Amino acid sequence: MTSPLRAAVIGAGAISLEHLPFLQQSERANLVGICDLSPVSARIAARRFDAEAGYTDLAHMLRQALPQVVHVLTPPHTHGPLVRLCLEAGAHVVCEKPMAATADEAQELLTVAATNKVHLVENHNYRFNDEVVALKALIEQGRIGDVCEVDIRMALQIRGEGSRFADLSNIHPIHAMPAGVLHDFVTHFAYLLNELSGGADWQRVSAAWSNHGGGELFKFDDLDATLIGPNGAGQVHGRIRFSCRTSPDVFSVTVRGTEGQASTDIFHPFLEVLGPRPGGEQLTPIVNHIVNGTRLAGAGFRNFGQKLLQHGPYHGLSRFLDSTYEALQADQPPPVTPQHIMAAASLVDRLLDQEARL
Amino acid sequence: MNTQTEPSQFRIFVSGATGFVGRHVVAEAVSRGHHVVAMVRPASSASALDPVAATGRLSIVRADLAAPTGIAEAMAGCDAVLHLAAVKGGDFFSRFAGTVVGTETLLNAARAAEVRRLVAVSTFSVYDYGAIKAGSVFDESFPVIADPRGRDEYAETKLYQDELYWEFGAAPDNHLVMMRPGMIYGRDQLWHPLLGGEFGPIDLRVGAKARPPISYVENTAQALVLAAEVLCDPQTTDSVDGQVINIVDNDLPTQAYYAERVKELVEVPKSLFVPRPVMKAAAVAVAAVNRRFFDGRAKVPSIALPDQIDARFKPFVYQNAKAKRLLGWSPRFGLDEALRRSASSEDLVSKQLMSNGRSES
Repeated sequence: MTSPLRAAVIGAGAISLEHLPFLQQSERANLVGICDLSPVSARIAARRFDAEAGYTDLAHMLRQALPQVVHVLTPPHTHGPLVRLCLEAGAHVVCEKPMAATADEAQELLTVAATNKVHLVENHNYRFNDEVVALKALIEQGRIGDVCEVDIRMALQIRGEGSRFADLSNIHPIHAMPAGVLHDFVTHFAYLLNELSGGADWQRVSAAWSNHGGGELFKFDDLDATLIGPNGAGQVHGRIRFSCRTSPDVFSVTVRGTEGQASTDIFHPFLEVLGPRPGGEQLTPIVNHIVNGTRLAGAGFRNFGQKLLQHGPYHGLSRFLDSTYEALQADQPPPVTPQHIMAAASLVDRLLDQEARL
Repeated sequence: MNTQTEPSQFRIFVSGATGFVGRHVVAEAVSRGHHVVAMVRPASSASALDPVAATGRLSIVRADLAAPTGIAEAMAGCDAVLHLAAVKGGDFFSRFAGTVVGTETLLNAARAAEVRRLVAVSTFSVYDYGAIKAGSVFDESFPVIADPRGRDEYAETKLYQDELYWEFGAAPDNHLVMMRPGMIYGRDQLWHPLLGGEFGPIDLRVGAKARPPISYVENTAQALVLAAEVLCDPQTTDSVDGQVINIVDNDLPTQAYYAERVKELVEVPKSLFVPRPVMKAAAVAVAAVNRRFFDGRAKVPSIALPDQIDARFKPFVYQNAKAKRLLGWSPRFGLDEALRRSASSEDLVSKQLMSNGRSES
């Protein structure tokens, strides 16, 4: 294997606890620094994850630690100048989503990356989850025929008691983003829709952004969007639903095609496939029931084991990071390309466009 | 040393002032003639302090430790900071941000405001219970956990908080007293983790004969305010400066006795009794399986972790002699009265204010 890349992190907040275990354990990375405005955060994170040093100033870390890759994990509204500083220092950047508030800002940062001949990668972690990888494989194998519809539905208690988004004493910085709290999730919806639809060109977009819970803190707490566009094989319908009122928390993904459909839930992993089975038209429904029932029961045991082993919904992140580092070591394009980033950012822009509002 | 009847008057900044302990600390301090600057989160209710506000010796400052704005200004002119605010639930990051980074913010504000005396509120959870034989005398010389990593989130974050406390206390001209209350009990918090805990869908009661280190909330508040007084009085500062002081009640009851008394007063969860040795043996076996087959990665409920079982249920002979000697503290309430007050509907803050006859309300 080629030598590990010198890696650094800026922002020792909650999401860093997903990135740092990879950087601590991977043979592809050598963790040379962790930077945070809070000295104790930088110091303790460096100690817990065996980083060479903790820093409170990014420019100092870039000069002293000379990282080849920097993970920008600060709140979204701070990304722009920090990403730019890292890129101009000659470091590749892995940036948490949303990388930018708008597609224009995302494009500016990608241009800075290209100018400095380094890569800028946005975290699209759910693309790398086991279930999404399995869905993608089914589609590519033609098991459900041509993709006609992709439904993505998330329910999350963002306004519930104890939610970090609902704390009026310590207002979460994500509220400042154009879609407010929903900006924390909408990038996921956008890249998953693009990926599973086969890169549909969403020509018609309508989005109902609502604040059903009311009040001044939340811009929106609900999204209901419909998208229609061709993907080369035909017209695809996309649907995004986000609700904070229904229970339990779910993150379900369903893809329907000309031959069948496949569903999963990223929070409660399983894979259901309804499609042609041996036994002909008469027996296909029964075989589907038996196969999917068996698979669902198996998922129960597997999910229990995965819960014990803390193989949670964020498990795709380490796979994403590993493949990104592998590509960077080999001087190859990372798996999340500028095209992926811009397609997702443009779709978020479209959803927020006043003309698309219902 | 100050006496309990005629303390000097000090201006004390209290964080976490409306919390379970904080409201009693505020009432105790004001009842003893001090002025309290109470930090309350912007969106939190301060109604628990209404009876204290009527005395005219309470200032409420609205601030959150997640943002330093206004904290140093509110501390200006205070003789001491008594730091109670902490996050006791949630994942590691929530606790770290609330407890450790929050303490860093508070101590930076104290430095900016040149407040040089700190009553640091730590916890018994930082002690290394596995290091000492069961039945030993447990006092302030008991060893502290050397490596926080791998401990439960509460102990780990409180150890990091202690690290910040010691750094503050080590600075020239700064003075620190490290207060370590045992398990604080009181109204709505009578059934505590030193009796047992949840294991999946089951509530377990673990152990019977141990006498856990419990401290009634009003007794704890009394000790904390006395610590502030002794620290603030220039004639007595040195007697507590840099000292660790454990706070536990007198005449600690056995787990079984305490549990029976609480059951007589309030509704408690139905639970399954497990002897401590059985629980410990099961936990050791679970830990071995975890190491052998899962590389230690399996997430196990805290009550099934060997070090947690030691911390919560291992029997020791807990001492409070140092608190009595250095602070002149004598816990005001015995177990019976503490339980009666906790189970009553009395306004304890008002009663606490009246108890020293200093309330102006």
